Amino acid sequence: MYCAAMINKELVAASTEPLILSLLASGESYGYALIQEVKRLSGDKIQWTDGMLYPVLHRMEERGLIKSRWDERETGRKRKYYSIKKDGKTAMVRHHEQWSLVHGVLSGLRKEQYV
Amino acid sequence: MFNLAQAILEWRRQMLAADIKSPVPLDELETHLRDEIEQQAKSGLSEAEAFKTAIQKIGRANTLQNEFKKVESRWEGLEWKLTEILLVFGPVLASLVMGISVLLNRRMTPAQKLSCLAAFATFTLLVWGGRLGYRVFPVIRATRVRIAIGISTFVLLLIQHVLFLLVLQRHDCTVGQLPVAVAWGWITPMGAWASLYCGIETAARKKLALPDL
Repeated sequence: MYCAAMINKELVAASTEPLILSLLASGESYGYALIQEVKRLSGDKIQWTDGMLYPVLHRMEERGLIKSRWDERETGRKRKYYSIKKDGKTAMVRHHEQWSLVHGVLSGLRKEQYV
Repeated sequence: MFNLAQAILEWRRQMLAADIKSPVPLDELETHLRDEIEQQAKSGLSEAEAFKTAIQKIGRANTLQNEFKKVESRWEGLEWKLTEILLVFGPVLASLVMGISVLLNRRMTPAQKLSCLAAFATFTLLVWGGRLGYRVFPVIRATRVRIAIGISTFVLLLIQHVLFLLVLQRHDCTVGQLPVAVAWGWITPMGAWASLYCGIETAARKKLALPDL
């Protein structure tokens, strides 16, 4: 489902939801922009297979984490914008706590190895 | 000469053929495709090359459909779970209510009451039997065929009910006989229909192993 240049696909898959939630927490966005933003922030190390992002977004919408609306731009192109919901914010906080915990444990172990 | 509009139209056709639904999510994917083509063209690719790169990046129709199907299947799964709950407790509850009303009916003889209770028990067992004995039913993969079987057999059930009503009108049933006739003539055939529907649906869902997200 995903291809990652340096990060393995399981980790990319696991990080998809927290990344989407975190990106949407700073404002509504659409699929293409989300992909570009993740690529930019990760220095091209996280690359989602473009079309596969949409089933994930739809699943998150179905679970009530995010909501969507269609908007038609001056170009006449319809775009579906996603924004985070209250449950999504709660889920994002939980994700952040869990990822911080894992990061903390790994950092601690790494320090121990170098002492 | 490459025609972008024509190429996108053909891509949409392929997506529709793979059962990607329109307008959602196909329109959303098309917007994404056009964004990517624009981006690729800006980086110096020709329109044809930009289109080719963009469709490769968006992914194959069948792979995409499989992912979308998982979201849809989850909804279907939830709906089926609710239907299953209704099919397990519904007949018991209905039989209990009908059974109590029969037992409280003073115009019925004990034999008539017993006959009615037996009909209600048969009804419940038939519904449960379909669900529990799904292994004896054929696995019909196509949802449309299962729905068609359900509707056509339900129409047959309605015809049977109307015919039974016509027969019933020709007989002068006593107040005690009428509930017995209704129980065996209407309620039990309903159980048979529910049994068939449950059996076919459960067999398909269990054996096709719908993905559980």
